[in-house]
Amino acid sequence: MESSHMDSNTRQGEEKDMKISTLTIAAVSATALTGPAFADKLDDIIASGTLRCAVVLDFPPMGSRDENNEPQGFDVDYCNDLAAALGVEAEVVETTFPERIPALVSGQVDVAVASTSDTLERAKTVGFTIPYYAFENAVVANEGVEMSSWEDLQGKTVGATAGTYEAIWLEGKIDEWGEGEFRPYQNQADVFLALSQGQLDATVSTVEVAEANVASGNYDGIKIVDKAPMVPDYVGLITLRGEYGLIDYMNLFINQQVRTGRYAELYEKWVGEGEPADLTIQGVYR
Amino acid sequence: MFDTAMTLNDVMFLAQGAGMTILVTLIAVVCGTVLGIIFGVVRYQVGPVWAAPLTFFLDVFRSIPLLIQLVLTFAFIGTVMKIRISGFSVACLVLTLYTSAYCAEIVRGAIESVPPTLRRASRSLGMTWGQDMRHIVLPLATRVAFPSWIGLALSVMKDSALVYVVQVTELLKSTQILITRLQEPLFLLMICGAFYFLISFPIARIGGYLERRWSND
Repeated sequence: MESSHMDSNTRQGEEKDMKISTLTIAAVSATALTGPAFADKLDDIIASGTLRCAVVLDFPPMGSRDENNEPQGFDVDYCNDLAAALGVEAEVVETTFPERIPALVSGQVDVAVASTSDTLERAKTVGFTIPYYAFENAVVANEGVEMSSWEDLQGKTVGATAGTYEAIWLEGKIDEWGEGEFRPYQNQADVFLALSQGQLDATVSTVEVAEANVASGNYDGIKIVDKAPMVPDYVGLITLRGEYGLIDYMNLFINQQVRTGRYAELYEKWVGEGEPADLTIQGVYR
Repeated sequence: MFDTAMTLNDVMFLAQGAGMTILVTLIAVVCGTVLGIIFGVVRYQVGPVWAAPLTFFLDVFRSIPLLIQLVLTFAFIGTVMKIRISGFSVACLVLTLYTSAYCAEIVRGAIESVPPTLRRASRSLGMTWGQDMRHIVLPLATRVAFPSWIGLALSVMKDSALVYVVQVTELLKSTQILITRLQEPLFLLMICGAFYFLISFPIARIGGYLERRWSND
C-alpha cells in the first residue's frame, strides 16, 4: 500500500515539473511514457492484487494436499502470510523441485516458497532472501537405549541410508570415536524398521522425517533424543535476481515472522513440538 | 487393487478435472473450427503463392510440439509483453490456434475434393461465389471433412492433457495430484482412462451416426 502511495506522489511531482520548461516537458513525458516499466515486481504484485507462489506439494510437511486436495503445509501457510502482509490474495502454484526456478524466470509465479536451499550456484540465477527455514537433523533412538544427548551415540550400533549426508556423518563419527558400529541400509523405511526392532540403537534423520515417523505410529518404540550437530540445510524464499524491492520486503517479512512468534507457531503446527531451527549463523552477518 | 483410499471427494475432484478438460476442448474446437474454416477457405481461394505467409504461420503450429507452444506463449506474454494472464487463457488461445491449423488443412482438402467441373457448372448457371460455396461446396465438402474433423476434435481433447504446464488442473493433472497423495498410480490411471473414454466415446459414436446418415441421401 505504502509504495503505491509513494508512486503517485512522484507522478504528481512530475506533473508540476512539466510547467517549468519545454525541455523538461519532453524529458518528463518520456519518463511518463516509460512509467510502468519503473514499477517493480513489488508494485506489480500489489497492483494486481494477487501473489503467485510456487510451492512444491509433494514434500510434506512443507507442502502437500489435504483430503479435499487443497494445498496445505508450512510453505503454503508461509505464502498465505506473505500475501496477507502485502494485502493481496495468495495463489499457490504447484511446481516440482526442478520446475521452481523455470516457473519464476518464465513469469508464471512471483516468488517461490518452496524450501529452496540457498546454494551459490542458484544465486547466479535467482535472488535469495535470508533463510526462512532450516532443515536440521535429529538423533532418533530405540526407547530401550539410554541416551540423553547426541554424544551418547558413542559406542552404539547406528545405521542410516547408504550414501546420504547423514550416513556419511554417522560413519565419520564412528571412525573418529573408534568404537561402535555403522550399518548401511537401502532406504529410510528399512532404517526405521531396524531401529524399531532393536537391531539398531540409534539413527540420524531430518527432524521432519523423524517427527513424522514417530507420529505415524508405524514404528513402535522409537524416540527423538537430540538434534545432531550437523550443518543445517538453510532454505530461502526466491524471486527474480534483480527485484531488490521485493527481496528487501521479504527479508523484513521473515524477520517479522520470527520475532512475532509465527515461525515457532508454524513449526509446531507442521513439524512438531520443540525449538525450530535458529536462522542465524554465529560469527557472520546475514 | 480395488482396496483403495479414494473417497467420493476425490471422485468429485477428478470429475472437476474432467469438466476442465471438456471446457478447454470445447472452446478450442469451436473457436479453432471457425478460424480453421476461414483460414482454409482463404488458402484455397487466394492460391498457394499468396497464401504462403498464412501457410507458414499454420505450419508453425502444426510442427512445433504443443507442450513447447504452451510454455513459450505463456513466457512470452508474461515476461516480454509484461501482461499478467491466466494459464487458462493461454491454454485456450494456444489450443485454438493449434486446432485451427489442423482444421484449415482439413477444410482446404475438402474444398479441393469438390469436382471443379461441378463448381464451374454452378457458376455457369448464374450462381454467385457465395451461392456456389453455400449450396454446392458446403454440402459436398462437409461430408468429406466430417470424419477427419471428428478425429481432430478427439485428438485435441487428448492433447489438452498438456495444458497442465500452464497451471490448468485438467483431468490428467487432477489424477497426478491424487497419485501423489494416495500412492495408487495404476488404479487412479485406470479411472482417469475411464473418464477420457466416457468423454470421447459418445463423440465418436455421434460422429459415426451422422456420417452414416449423411451418406444415405
